[in-house]
Amino acid sequence: MRFGSAREVEEALRRESYLPDRGLATAVYLALAMRRPLLLEGEAGVGKTEVGKTLARLLGAELVRLQCYEGIDASQALYEWDYARQLLYARALQAGEVSVDERVAELYGPDFLVERPVLRALRAGAGAVLLVDELDRADDEFEAFLLEVLSDFTVTVPELGTIAVDEPPVVVITSNRTRELHDALKRRCLYHWIEFPDVEREAQIIRLRVPGVEEALARSVAETVARLRALDLVKRPGAAEAIDWAAALTLVGAPAAEGEPARETLGAAVKNREDQARVEAAWAELVE
Amino acid sequence: MAGSDPHATLVRFGRALRAEGLPVGPDRVAELGRAAALLRPGELYWAGRATLVSRPEQIEAYDAVFGRFFGPPTPTPGPPLRLRVEAEVEEDVGLASRAETLREKSFAQCSREELSELAELMGRIELAVPRRRTRRREPARSGTPDLRRTLRRSFRTGGDPLERAWRRRRPRARRLILLLDVSGSMDAYSRALVLFAHAALRSDRRFEAFCFGTRLTRVTRQLEGSDPDEALRRAAAEVLDWDGGTRIGECLQRFLDEHGHGGLARGAVVVLCSDGLDVGDPELLAEQMARLSRLAYRVVWLNPLKGDPAYAPLARGMQAALPHVDLFASGHNLASLEEVGRALARRYGR
Repeated sequence: MRFGSAREVEEALRRESYLPDRGLATAVYLALAMRRPLLLEGEAGVGKTEVGKTLARLLGAELVRLQCYEGIDASQALYEWDYARQLLYARALQAGEVSVDERVAELYGPDFLVERPVLRALRAGAGAVLLVDELDRADDEFEAFLLEVLSDFTVTVPELGTIAVDEPPVVVITSNRTRELHDALKRRCLYHWIEFPDVEREAQIIRLRVPGVEEALARSVAETVARLRALDLVKRPGAAEAIDWAAALTLVGAPAAEGEPARETLGAAVKNREDQARVEAAWAELVE
Repeated sequence: MAGSDPHATLVRFGRALRAEGLPVGPDRVAELGRAAALLRPGELYWAGRATLVSRPEQIEAYDAVFGRFFGPPTPTPGPPLRLRVEAEVEEDVGLASRAETLREKSFAQCSREELSELAELMGRIELAVPRRRTRRREPARSGTPDLRRTLRRSFRTGGDPLERAWRRRRPRARRLILLLDVSGSMDAYSRALVLFAHAALRSDRRFEAFCFGTRLTRVTRQLEGSDPDEALRRAAAEVLDWDGGTRIGECLQRFLDEHGHGGLARGAVVVLCSDGLDVGDPELLAEQMARLSRLAYRVVWLNPLKGDPAYAPLARGMQAALPHVDLFASGHNLASLEEVGRALARRYGR
């Protein structure tokens, strides 16, 4: 699927129930057209990961997700040999069940290779969307490794040779910005900082994502969440929290985010004890 | 003011952004050209946002320069940016009792002789800087199974994995960076802190030390000699603004610009020694502290004033900085410095 303009991307994303602002749609369009990785930053819950998932659906491509964490290394991202199977095979060789000479090479053949996300995405090429999630959690070394892969989209497995692709996969990288990513990596990517949606768009998002939600409730939740974000909270609620809260309020049958029902379901939007105390103190102004 | 030649305009646009501190090289301008060619004329704003901006702090400067070149941009204004910070501040490190030993005596009250004596003791503080795991693994006696080596060894025993091998991530000590405030208000402590830095630098070649006041100077080289007092004299000569006021925000900015992204501060433990009596802009300080806390592994702030039980961090600079500090301690005497060393090891593991 090819797009002719940023507007087409925006409309296509909308059809898949993702409401981007113009900047994000443009960045996605450029990333696709220029074949560049797209680096998305923004606070937790603004829908960074969702962009990758939606894009995969939209392009009819396979979503290959690599969740980063502290200590992740190349073998978890790229490939590993299936040592257990190799051991069994070696046993079989020894027992004479397979003839030795020509079979030894097979120990390091494709049968024993365990594909990890990056290799899998590379092999699928344009048929995949590689979502590198929360890269800021990984160590510097891993970032350097990823930079290597993203620079030329080739990977060398010593025993098998070099794997290169004609058309690289679409790459979406997300970061919560708990630490700064290296400039070298940023230079490889197109960049977009996702803001919290405004009230109008957030109400639309809620209506798209929460089945059976009343329009008035969606708007009321969007407005209250916007006010919550203006408080000095440790963790400001994202769109994900707004959706959860609207769903919770729908379940208890509340017509709007106010009064006792709102207070009782607040845990869906504010998930930190200090923050809840802070909200509690400002409750009167929050839900006028 | 867009000129007739669009390429020349983009080049000048890139240059203007670079003047504002955005890392816009020729490669980025070429990217912008490619992006702009794919979009309609009205969408140039977003073409630049995607190709020239790489962190949210740059958006404001980008908007301003864009406005100068191409008229007011048409972005959808979002809510004001607030960066997420971990506001975990440790309050009670150091100072258990006030026994009148040298260990507990405030540096400010120590005579020259006592400080020389302390210098000796400081050399023995074990700075248990947290380690990080590297990508490389090494053979070990225990850990995760090393199947590759196990398999290899099994060939020796006819395919039976009799001898099992293990491996683990090779740990490596993080870098320690000391930033010492040597301004007038810190006078009583400067000497002791330089002695401390001298002792710390001798324990690991990769450690670094800087002095700052109105300016920032790297003093690692000067402190590498064997005699702390000689090192102190040389550091004093290097730090020209000795006894001047303090501009912590600007000094920190300079430190981060020159040494931050280059890798010195990245993943390091950064220890800032200052009383926080800043004559600079507290907003700049808060901004730079946020930058530092994202780059560094842990940020420790030693404030000698905190040695006084009645002290509250009311100075504007100190208040601006605190939300970005992982460990807040006094460091006004030897006991406190020792406690900081232990706290780093205890809380963040080795």
